[in-house]
Amino acid sequence: MTGARSIVVVRNLVKRFGDLTAVDNVSLKIEEGEVFGLIGPNGAGKTTILRIMATLLLPTSGYVNILGYDAVKEAGKIRPFISYLAEDAGTYRNLSGREYLLIVARIYFDSNTEASRAVEEAIRISGLGERVDDKMKTYSKGMKRRIQVARALMTRPRLAILDEPTAGLDVFHAKHIREVVSRHVKEGGTVVLSSHNMLEVEYLCTRVAFVHRGHVLFEGAPRAIKNELGVSNLEEAFIKVTSR
Amino acid sequence: MRKLVSLVEKEVKDLLRDPRIYIGLVVPVILMPLLGFLMSTSMSSSIEAGAKGVKIAVLDYDKTVLSNTFLNLSMSLGADIRKVDATDLETAVDEARNLGSNALIVIGKGFENDLVNFRRASVEVYIVMETMSLGSIGAYSAVEGVLSVSSKIFSNMLISKLNPNISPDAVRDPFNISTRSILKDKIIEAPPQVLFNQLLMGYSIMIPLLLLMLSITVVQFAATATAVENEEKTLETLLTFPVTRYDILLAKLLGSSILAVIGSILFTGGFILYFNNMLAMSGFNFPAGDFSQLLPSPPPESFILLAASLILAILFVTSLGVAIGALSSDVRMANSLLGVVIVPIMIPSFLMMYGDLGTLPLALQLLVYALPTSYPIMMAKDMMMTPIPFEAILGIPYSAALTVLVLYATSMLLAPEKLLTVQYGLRLRGTRRQRVRELENQTTVG
Ligand SMILES: Nc1ncnc2c1ncn2[C@@H]1O[C@H](COP(=O)(O)OP(=O)(O)O)[C@@H](O)[C@H]1O
Ligand SMILES: [Mg+2]
Repeated sequence: MTGARSIVVVRNLVKRFGDLTAVDNVSLKIEEGEVFGLIGPNGAGKTTILRIMATLLLPTSGYVNILGYDAVKEAGKIRPFISYLAEDAGTYRNLSGREYLLIVARIYFDSNTEASRAVEEAIRISGLGERVDDKMKTYSKGMKRRIQVARALMTRPRLAILDEPTAGLDVFHAKHIREVVSRHVKEGGTVVLSSHNMLEVEYLCTRVAFVHRGHVLFEGAPRAIKNELGVSNLEEAFIKVTSR
Repeated sequence: MRKLVSLVEKEVKDLLRDPRIYIGLVVPVILMPLLGFLMSTSMSSSIEAGAKGVKIAVLDYDKTVLSNTFLNLSMSLGADIRKVDATDLETAVDEARNLGSNALIVIGKGFENDLVNFRRASVEVYIVMETMSLGSIGAYSAVEGVLSVSSKIFSNMLISKLNPNISPDAVRDPFNISTRSILKDKIIEAPPQVLFNQLLMGYSIMIPLLLLMLSITVVQFAATATAVENEEKTLETLLTFPVTRYDILLAKLLGSSILAVIGSILFTGGFILYFNNMLAMSGFNFPAGDFSQLLPSPPPESFILLAASLILAILFVTSLGVAIGALSSDVRMANSLLGVVIVPIMIPSFLMMYGDLGTLPLALQLLVYALPTSYPIMMAKDMMMTPIPFEAILGIPYSAALTVLVLYATSMLLAPEKLLTVQYGLRLRGTRRQRVRELENQTTVG
């Protein structure tokens, strides 16, 4: 294990796509029980960082350690303990919510009782009620997002990686998802998420990192950042940091 | 194993409920028997109508005992004979039309005189081709039937008159021919055309056709199943599950194979119905069971080889389908890519079904031998007639190697790093196209 209880350790991470440097020398640490937020505008590199943490992309250079395992060499050992919500994750149109949850649960759990416990939990988390038995093609955007968040959290991951979990949702769906994430962390989980909604992140996250053009410009607890920069919210903080 | 089963279940359920796959499947399954049924009913109903109640108008210039005998004979054979009185052909045709009949027989003057003097008597037949329908053909075949039976009876009468002690058949048709077939050193009590129909039906047409159907459906399913993950943006999530990319690939292969086998069974059912109707209609209605007992069945090892080459061929096309699907941003794109890839793969198989490999140009022969899909057809085709061809046996290790190569290449493509980059490119192209369209709109408006 690297660090005492560090769930994520990222050191000097660089990711290039051809000529483009999407992530440039980023270092981060996420401790157990945190809700860590990556915030920044579109194209800043948030998704790329999260995908590398989720073992989907390989770093060009640098070191990434998740739950004590090397994200490049030991990706297979990491996967059972994490879950990933892609920013534009879709659903299988022709499966019902329940069928989908059960299929995923059986991939993660070896015993049927554990799998069905996970499904029941997911149905409760999603708050979809009876609609969980409808085909997912009939779901609204908010419902699809809720079933995906439930899918990601039902496996009790040690690290949940959520890319823009509330983007494009109305206030009710967004609020529901924020509550679910908070509850998950209270029950012992760790979450890293991205958002470009600074106010939401301020409310939800224990710590945030400002990501801009592939760099992490600033990092800290929301309140500490505001105090240090003498501003009243994170939006102002971000603008102040990026303009200097 | 458990993970694989879950993934296969996902593939089967999602595919089975996707209406898009039924377009490729339901159409032949429903259309084939329907077509066969329609053709056979329309054909048989018009022929029946022709044979039984067909109204034949007759203009009898001879008006003798023998011409009357001929008319009575025709009537007893089931034809509805209407005499017309006319002095020229035109009025006779008009009258025939008024009677609602589209066949007119003209018995020439001197009919009786010619016959009793052992000369050929002239009978003219006119068929009214008002519509190019099966009805005219029915009338024609009815008249033909009536005439040939009458002609045979008249011939019997004439031969008996010459010499009552000989059989008329011996004069008319002096050779009594019986044909048997030799197949693999065995004499079979059936003429070759019967066996040929059997072979054609069973081993040379039905099985290869089924194999073709199977490969085309399976590759389509695999491509659809993979492309739909791109279209619905589910692939990225799938790739973060604790499964290997081999599990994902295998699940796609198994899922689409299971469905393709079900589909092929349905298709075969439809096709057999269609084929039977076609055969019944064209008069080839021999009882299928009778002759299959005559045929020796192929040796069991040829079935094993057939199965092995078939599995390899299906794995080959299916992993090709997964690769195509993975490279497509949506199902539509996958389908058009499939068309480009699958046609050259299937052409050699079609060529083999209808022709001899040796007669093809060298380039085509090489193409045939290069593709794993050719070997099951090669085997099915020759299973009955010859020992299994040497090149077909060599084809198994060869196809196996090629299939493993394609499987490996496809699994490489399923590495997230590669796939996400490909998808990124595809999506970028999509948005660029959209931007171009927006610009075009602006310029046309402005
Ligand atoms: N697979 C890829 N191939 C090439 N370029 C990419 C790829 N993924 C992302 N990028 C580019 O990398 C940069 C960062 O993108 P991303 O991480 O998605 O940012 P964010 O999530 O903060 O909006 C962008 O300029 C984007 O165009
Ligand atoms: Mg993003």
